[in-house]
Amino acid sequence: MDAIDRRRLLTSAVLGTAGIAGATALGSLAPEAAHAAPAQLGVDPLADDPNFAEGRVTGIKDAMLLVTGSDTVLHRIQVTSGTSIWKLHPTTFEAVDVGDGLYARGVRLGDGTLAADSLWVNIVSMSVQITAIGNGWLHLDHGGSRVVGHVVPGRTAAVYRDAPTTGDLSKLRVGRHVHIIGAWRPDTNEVDLATVYAGTVAG
Amino acid sequence: MGCANSASPAYGEMSWFCCGSAWGPCSSAGGGACGNCTSGSHQCAWPHASAACYSITQPYACGHDLALRGCGHVFYITNQCTGGCVSASVADCGPNTHQFCGEKHCCGSTCGTDRMIDLTPSAFSAIASLSSGLLPCRIDS
Repeated sequence: MDAIDRRRLLTSAVLGTAGIAGATALGSLAPEAAHAAPAQLGVDPLADDPNFAEGRVTGIKDAMLLVTGSDTVLHRIQVTSGTSIWKLHPTTFEAVDVGDGLYARGVRLGDGTLAADSLWVNIVSMSVQITAIGNGWLHLDHGGSRVVGHVVPGRTAAVYRDAPTTGDLSKLRVGRHVHIIGAWRPDTNEVDLATVYAGTVAG
Repeated sequence: MGCANSASPAYGEMSWFCCGSAWGPCSSAGGGACGNCTSGSHQCAWPHASAACYSITQPYACGHDLALRGCGHVFYITNQCTGGCVSASVADCGPNTHQFCGEKHCCGSTCGTDRMIDLTPSAFSAIASLSSGLLPCRIDS
């Protein structure tokens, strides 16, 4: 299924004109597959992308997320059984809570609702410096602000320079610059670490 | 010019960053070096957005001689894992390429080496999943 077919399916599902049999019947609906897409050149770089939304979840009603954008714009985001959802792990709609932050991509419908193709809940992507390392945590400096990164057993991984992804975090060192992908714990300065990209490796 | 058709493209890794109004640890990100960066627009951070920026990001320390492309310049960024392409205008200075010299990510036999460009979540998510972190890319002007 190419990206356009997928979006048409999701849109029609939202509109109630097609049933969704389930992700496994449609082939992969993982986020990576959802973005095996042709060129996306039609958006004015200075204008907000109409098929994208971000903000905090302020309400959940059935399969509709009510989201207040950081710019105070209100979004209605429709989730279907075909929506891929990430919240530290690939997960399901039940894992989304009021207060979560999110980024969403999908198709904007005529009534302004965004039919979500993908949701990334509480996801953060930050270049930081390691300032301390403890048992199960990293203290990180992010532009002068301290962030606590929690190591999640069985989930947190490291990528050292050009090596394959590993669960071994022992090569991380205080003072190193790293890039992290993680999930923010709402209303704190803490994140659960998904991947730590370490550009340099301790000797 | 457009996607994957310029005479002298740059190759490397792409990632994403937030800017403008935001939630969580990004809430203090601000409008970037150009003052107009927002996560919802197709924008990017480029290591040579200005001479001052270049002295901070230092891509030359990793062997890259990147062209000066200031605020508003439009790049075409191709995800080399999927072929998806997005246009994005320069709105910030970054990434700090010299801090990650030699870093490499591959899709099969196609690899990108060194941090070359950061996209806003809106731009990055148009061609890749935000959870994929770093990906090899081609950059055309």
